[in-house]
Amino acid sequence: MMRAKGLFKTFNPGTPIENPALRGASLDIPQGQFVTVIGSNGAGKSTFLNAISGDLIVDQGSIEIAGRDVTRLSAWQRAGLVARVFQDPMAGTCEGLTIEENLAIAWQRGNKRGLKGSLNASLRSQFRDKLATLNLGLENRLTDHMGLLSGGQRQAVSLLMASLKPSQILLLDEHTAALDPKTAAFVLELTDQIVRENQLTAMMVTHSMRQALDHGDRTVMLHQGRVVLDVAGEERAKMDVPDLLAMFERTRGEALADDALLLG
Amino acid sequence: MSLIALLGATEIGLIFALVALGVLISFRILNFPDLTADGSFPLGGAVAATLIAGGHDPWMATLAGTAAGALAGLTTAWLNVRLNILQLLASILVMIALYSINLRIMGAPNMPLIGATTVFSPFIALSPDSQYVIQPMVLAVIVVIAKLALDAFFASQSGLAMRATGANPRMARSQGIATDRMVLIGMAISNALIALAGALYVQTQGGADISMGIGTIVVGLAAVIIGETLIPGRTIMIATLAAVLGALVYRLFIALALNADFIGLQAQDLNLITALLVGFALVLPSLKRKLAAKRSAASKGSTAHDAR
Repeated sequence: MMRAKGLFKTFNPGTPIENPALRGASLDIPQGQFVTVIGSNGAGKSTFLNAISGDLIVDQGSIEIAGRDVTRLSAWQRAGLVARVFQDPMAGTCEGLTIEENLAIAWQRGNKRGLKGSLNASLRSQFRDKLATLNLGLENRLTDHMGLLSGGQRQAVSLLMASLKPSQILLLDEHTAALDPKTAAFVLELTDQIVRENQLTAMMVTHSMRQALDHGDRTVMLHQGRVVLDVAGEERAKMDVPDLLAMFERTRGEALADDALLLG
Repeated sequence: MSLIALLGATEIGLIFALVALGVLISFRILNFPDLTADGSFPLGGAVAATLIAGGHDPWMATLAGTAAGALAGLTTAWLNVRLNILQLLASILVMIALYSINLRIMGAPNMPLIGATTVFSPFIALSPDSQYVIQPMVLAVIVVIAKLALDAFFASQSGLAMRATGANPRMARSQGIATDRMVLIGMAISNALIALAGALYVQTQGGADISMGIGTIVVGLAAVIIGETLIPGRTIMIATLAAVLGALVYRLFIALALNADFIGLQAQDLNLITALLVGFALVLPSLKRKLAAKRSAASKGSTAHDAR
């Protein structure tokens, strides 16, 4: 369960490059719901996601996760509640560490880290089982360095890492944008599977309206730092990309400047 | 080269192995370019020498020197993490400040320890004629302990968190790692090791001198780089072993160069040789990359791509 209320965030305030990225964005995500978030460039999608993860602290508004006010907490303090997969396959893992070491780091997400050994035989066998579910043959490559993996493989491992420990919300930040179409489809399918199996509450930011409608239970659209569209259930099930566009135009009374970007 | 010269080179090599382990933590693991070493090495020496000259227990004095080094590393990290001063600049500030502090501690530019009881004294007493063998042996034990302790630490949950902090701080934070705290602790450990080396150095050299820290960081870095070239590998156990071996090889190489009369090198050329060596070693990886890029450009056309 996540509740964001009236978030404001302005970058470089009081300068010529002042950029009000969030202007009162609000969103409630109930337990177990999978929300997709769309919006054009500069709509505030990434800022919104970073505000929830704690990568940046909002100027105004409040964020509650699982009933706990986290508005002022930094990213590492929220990590027990928030799991995350980054857009850049390089960003979510440490390429200089091995696959098992990366998994061991995620295994302690939100826990206190002590002087106990980070790996042992029973952990390794658990990791092997989890990796086997990816069907990428990674279960035999525990001690390979992360840097040896392809972008798709790394995103798959990132997803696994995000689901190793329970979270109150899983944040997916355009996590297929850097992949080729075939790999992106594989990672998206894996995302659906992991969210379903672990009954996760999730928020996926995407550039593609198609993706936004095909995945998850609910779609919201951000525009100029606010939520302008919110569709779910029956209405959403019948929707296609042109319907979404038309609905947006009706709501805003204006055409999107960069349709082309969103239609993919 | 005589046996005594060889053992002397080994002795200094072992002391600089501790420096190399410290440099490995700051430069390689935390990705924190830290020049504090030039101040924390003589700091450890100054504190230990002053306490030993004052009649204190040499082990206590060594420990106090080590703790002082930890404090120096903590200060550098704090300047960077809390006050957002650039890493390199923060370390230079602390290094410069330590010059004054070291003079204050010793009360003079140097402090002789001739005839004082050092950590080596009880071992030398066992066999008075073999000081040249016993000092390197005691140092070797200390270096092995330090290496194994670091290996164990970096395999622990906290140690892994520290490695993630250096490798990918954003990812580390998203996994709940307090990266600022990790930098503070890591820099303290790094400079504690370097100060320990300084504390042991003054006890083998018969005294402390204010200028003994000049070039410490360069030698430490040289050892790490030479080690990486000799035994490449990305596991921590190999990296620590490489740093130790790198320091030994570096000192032996220097001793050989200085002993070979036909080259015409003298002791005062040491820093120049070190600078050239490190400079070359720093350029080497990018040269290699350029060469590899040229080679792959020549054989273009077959770009393997892993679909998933």
